[in-house]
Amino acid sequence: MGVCLCKDKVEDNNFSNEDEDTDRYTYMVRPNGGQNGNGNSCNNNNQRLSDRVDQLVKETLDVIASIVDDEPETPNSMLLLHDITDSIKGWLCLVKSLIRVVPLDHPLGASVIGLLLDDSPLPSKESVIEVAEMIESNTTIPCERNLCVILGCLAEKLLGPCSIAILTETTLAYLLKNISSNEVAKDVKLFSLIAIEKFAQTAENKSLIKKKLASYPEHPLLTLEKYVNETEDYTMRQIGFCAKWSLDNYFLIENRKYSYQTVNVDGINVMLNTKDVSEYLKISEDGLEARCDSYSFESVRSTFSVKSGAWYYECLIITSGVMQIGWAQKESHFLSSDGYGIGDDAYSVSFDGCRKLIWYNAKSTAINLPQWKPGSICGCYIDLDAKEVIFSLDGKESFVFKDCFTDKNVDLGFFPAASYMSFQQCRFNFGAEPFKFPPNRPFNNFNEVAVLKPQDKIILPRHLYLEELRKLSVTDDSCSLCFDSLATIRLKPCGHKGFCSNCTTMLSNCPICRADIAHTEEMIQETTNTNQNASS
Amino acid sequence: MAALPRRIIKETQRLMQEPVPGISAVPDESNARYFHVIVTGPEDSPFEGGLFKLELFLPEDYPMSAPKVRFITKIYHPNIDRLGRICLDILKDKWSPALQIRTVLLSIQALLSAPNPDDPLANDVAELWKVNEAEAIRNAKEWTQRYAMEDN
Repeated sequence: MGVCLCKDKVEDNNFSNEDEDTDRYTYMVRPNGGQNGNGNSCNNNNQRLSDRVDQLVKETLDVIASIVDDEPETPNSMLLLHDITDSIKGWLCLVKSLIRVVPLDHPLGASVIGLLLDDSPLPSKESVIEVAEMIESNTTIPCERNLCVILGCLAEKLLGPCSIAILTETTLAYLLKNISSNEVAKDVKLFSLIAIEKFAQTAENKSLIKKKLASYPEHPLLTLEKYVNETEDYTMRQIGFCAKWSLDNYFLIENRKYSYQTVNVDGINVMLNTKDVSEYLKISEDGLEARCDSYSFESVRSTFSVKSGAWYYECLIITSGVMQIGWAQKESHFLSSDGYGIGDDAYSVSFDGCRKLIWYNAKSTAINLPQWKPGSICGCYIDLDAKEVIFSLDGKESFVFKDCFTDKNVDLGFFPAASYMSFQQCRFNFGAEPFKFPPNRPFNNFNEVAVLKPQDKIILPRHLYLEELRKLSVTDDSCSLCFDSLATIRLKPCGHKGFCSNCTTMLSNCPICRADIAHTEEMIQETTNTNQNASS
Repeated sequence: MAALPRRIIKETQRLMQEPVPGISAVPDESNARYFHVIVTGPEDSPFEGGLFKLELFLPEDYPMSAPKVRFITKIYHPNIDRLGRICLDILKDKWSPALQIRTVLLSIQALLSAPNPDDPLANDVAELWKVNEAEAIRNAKEWTQRYAMEDN
């Protein structure tokens, strides 16, 4: 499971139970311990509120880190925070608390900041401007990384005028200083870079940032991009990855070739599939490294699946947070915005080395391996004849897991696959390079068996990819729901038509009149459909 | 960027070519399933003069399941809660794959013209709307002024 705690579910009980609401409110303002009744009561209240928010943030962090359930309830601490953050004062209190309280070394720290902000009521412009003013005031900020995470979250959440309002001259100067100066801590640098990218999602900001970046004697992103293959310092490697991504996708520089034009992918025969991935995952130009900087739980399958025999691949863990790495069938759905990923349905199984769990069918089993850290090698072994899955960490093997196999599913094929919580990154090795910890049993090498056509190895920056897509056209006789296939089906008894057989199988009511569908009828092909393949 | 269904490409093209009056829906530069939406507050409603930002996301199984839509701009409305979530039947159980981004946004615009306090999402707002409509409308106007006008 990812961290999205099914926002829809909150609706069912959030506004319905007034008693509970009142309870929560009194809980919130109740003096903690009731020790001091003197002094300035207003200050005391502020102090209490801020202590209370601190405590709730800590509780949320603990709860999220220990989720092992398939459908977790929204933690009570988050519901309480909802109420508090409804006011400007409460919302600012949360922001300050996040900066102060979230530990820098907690593997889920940055993810939880994003989660809590995304789940809070919408801030007003006044509130976000106050955040920007924290930078301007000369007070020392306790955990600058957290501030940078928050700036990025707000930029993403408040695309448009509010994003422009936070990116004051001071804010931008602050972020640019962070990415260009050598004096700045690396984690601050990383999250400043991510914040800059998110601010650039608003067009006005993008042109402003681009101009500022170009005014440096040496373009800061070109300097940082060089760390993309760093193998000692994994924070610098993340910075390199993000810088390169920004240069290919946001801040294009004249005369710099796109990464896909310069990369050599000759020996690579299996990649992460850019046509089989949820929307926000970032995939490197060689198709082997992926990173998530969004607040959804992003998933990807590889290009090659296996139906028999034993197979093995490895992942270099670059960040220590929640990723679910393993195997997925075609039937496994990527419900990224609901927090479901690899291992969260009956068609996939995965290893989560942050929480030390195996996930299958959205249920977890504790695994007998240590927690992973940057630089760890996660091994994934599958034997489709013996129906066994074994995970490993730096060569130490887990127990044999067999639950994920049913009588039927082996024939459908398993793809190497992974899901990522926000700010997580790892690199796959399907066998193009020697394995670090090959299992002590026979296995096939994906890269030696698979074949990938040269045109399928090209990983375009998104704007180019979308340009390509929009050139597609469709014909008039295509299905009115998918536009992919011919409309050949008539629904009975209502008689409505205009649907293909594939869409029809997913319907129980007529899309036009909502009548129940008793049966369907294949319409006789009219003789005019000579352009059947014109659109393919 | 999972393979983008033709349905989405087709809808996007049409939204660009024949925009709906009072509504702008622009696909994100890097995510063709994510739309930046601006709805103009309808005339003769307490939201008149306001520009309301929304986000619209087409889930993987769209059009078999409904788009996910929420308000980014704060709004005082009995069917929209403080997280910007919208209580609208066609976004839930009354969704049909024959509906489109266009029809969804028109319905949301209509909801601004005709708030429905009997099917509330924001309980305190709905309550006031029922017992003292004049005050509720004043609040809605004030919020529109405060959060949805040009200079905000």
